[in-house]
Amino acid sequence: MTFFSLAGKHALVTGAVGPFQRALAVALAEAGADVSLTTASAQLDEEVQANSIFNECWSIGRRGEAITLALTDEVAVEAAVAGLEERIAPIDILVNAPHGAVIKPFLEMTAEEVGATFNTNLAGVMVTTRVVGRRMVERGHGRVVNLVSILHDRGVPNTAVYAATQGALLGLTKSLGIEWIRSGVTVNALGFGFTEELAGPQQDPELRAALERYIPLQRLERGEDLQGALVYLASDEAGFVTSELLVVDGAISLHG
Amino acid sequence: MPILDRFDLSGRTAIVTGAGSNLGREMALALAEAGADIVGVGRRPEPLEETGALVRERGRRFLARPTDVTDSAEVNAMVAAAIAEFGTIEILVNNAGGGAAGRGKTLPELTDEDWHLGIDTNLTSAFFCSRAIIEHFVEHEHGRIINVTSGWGFRGARDRYMYPISKAGVISLTKALAMSYARANVRSSCIAPGAFPHELTPEVENRAGLQPAGRFGRMNEIGPLAVFLASDAAEYLSGETVLIDGGAIAAGVTPAGIAPVVPGGAA
Repeated sequence: MTFFSLAGKHALVTGAVGPFQRALAVALAEAGADVSLTTASAQLDEEVQANSIFNECWSIGRRGEAITLALTDEVAVEAAVAGLEERIAPIDILVNAPHGAVIKPFLEMTAEEVGATFNTNLAGVMVTTRVVGRRMVERGHGRVVNLVSILHDRGVPNTAVYAATQGALLGLTKSLGIEWIRSGVTVNALGFGFTEELAGPQQDPELRAALERYIPLQRLERGEDLQGALVYLASDEAGFVTSELLVVDGAISLHG
Repeated sequence: MPILDRFDLSGRTAIVTGAGSNLGREMALALAEAGADIVGVGRRPEPLEETGALVRERGRRFLARPTDVTDSAEVNAMVAAAIAEFGTIEILVNNAGGGAAGRGKTLPELTDEDWHLGIDTNLTSAFFCSRAIIEHFVEHEHGRIINVTSGWGFRGARDRYMYPISKAGVISLTKALAMSYARANVRSSCIAPGAFPHELTPEVENRAGLQPAGRFGRMNEIGPLAVFLASDAAEYLSGETVLIDGGAIAAGVTPAGIAPVVPGGAA
């Protein structure tokens, strides 16, 4: 393929181990990038999954590291990023892919749950983007891609706090894209729809069937569906795309 | 399949309208680079032949088909000829268009002819081409329609009517096609270029600083987006309009001429 090679680049895919992280990391690796990953906690299942993803990238022939990192701790993130850049390479591509939706009625959310939802989905993205973005701006090149749910501007019950973080991510994306474009750093959002991993359709076959009928492309979203758009946005070819929300959602948002 | 292979267009054929110049030529060449054969459509044969020579240099087949895309009979004949030549068509790029009609006239000054010319050039042409090819796409259970709108499809401006209105219509056409033919494995998407000047005269160059990016779009930046949207890597994407404008719409609330503050003072 003439286009979209990421050979020689180093990508950092952050966030807890979410539904898309494997597909995102593997796509970047297949396109030629070294890939590093972060998980939010050292819980065994997360670490196992992160290492499994890392091994898959490694088997493709790429370098990188899987590390546990609290993304809201700027001092820790600074140290971790400095270490990664020293051991692997400067980070060219930052993919913020946190995963921490709390699905429950707004009036039942505790202050702790609200805080945790904001920390995971927004504060951690801002810290990481500050730390990595500062380095990208200094180097005059970078690609930041923020995963953003279509809930950023749609109303779905029991998702209000999570939806607020997604709207905030979009504001962050649009503003930063303009702030940094003359420094060679693009900032874009990759919009996703209703995924295979959602608890609702996994637990409720009727809901799943209803969603599959409603989504124009007739199936729930899989991580692989985002790979092409991610590689495009991460590539040198997308240097004139910034502050953009690129939605890959099976066309469900066309309903309204 | 590894991701870079999913962008490959080998064995596919693309009809590109307005293929004789500018963004249309660029998209045709990028699609050819990615493996596609090209049917080049435009009013005049000579520019199409120039595009054709460049496509053939890339090792792909090229059919030049001079066509007035605002004439449905000509469009139907063009699509029939393309299918006859290549067997199947997988990709349609509705790129033909222009902004001359009625430009700068106030509402009372606009004639019926201005209105129809503007709408026909930018919107009716995409409608005619999509209508002409859709049964072929449905029959083969595969099709990619890529429309081309403009940042103007999102904006309002004083005394500008036909171009923004027709370009907004193109965005809406994209959605209608996406919803209508999703189950037939037809995808429809739209590219919204910002400022990609045809000619970089010194006067034009001087205005680059007014762009948020401090520069205009480069001609070779448009083609790769068309390749992505035409490819299997965009399988789950439909109805979507992708801005490629260096942030121009996102930054639109800033008065023109106010350059963004740049960290470190770099320009």
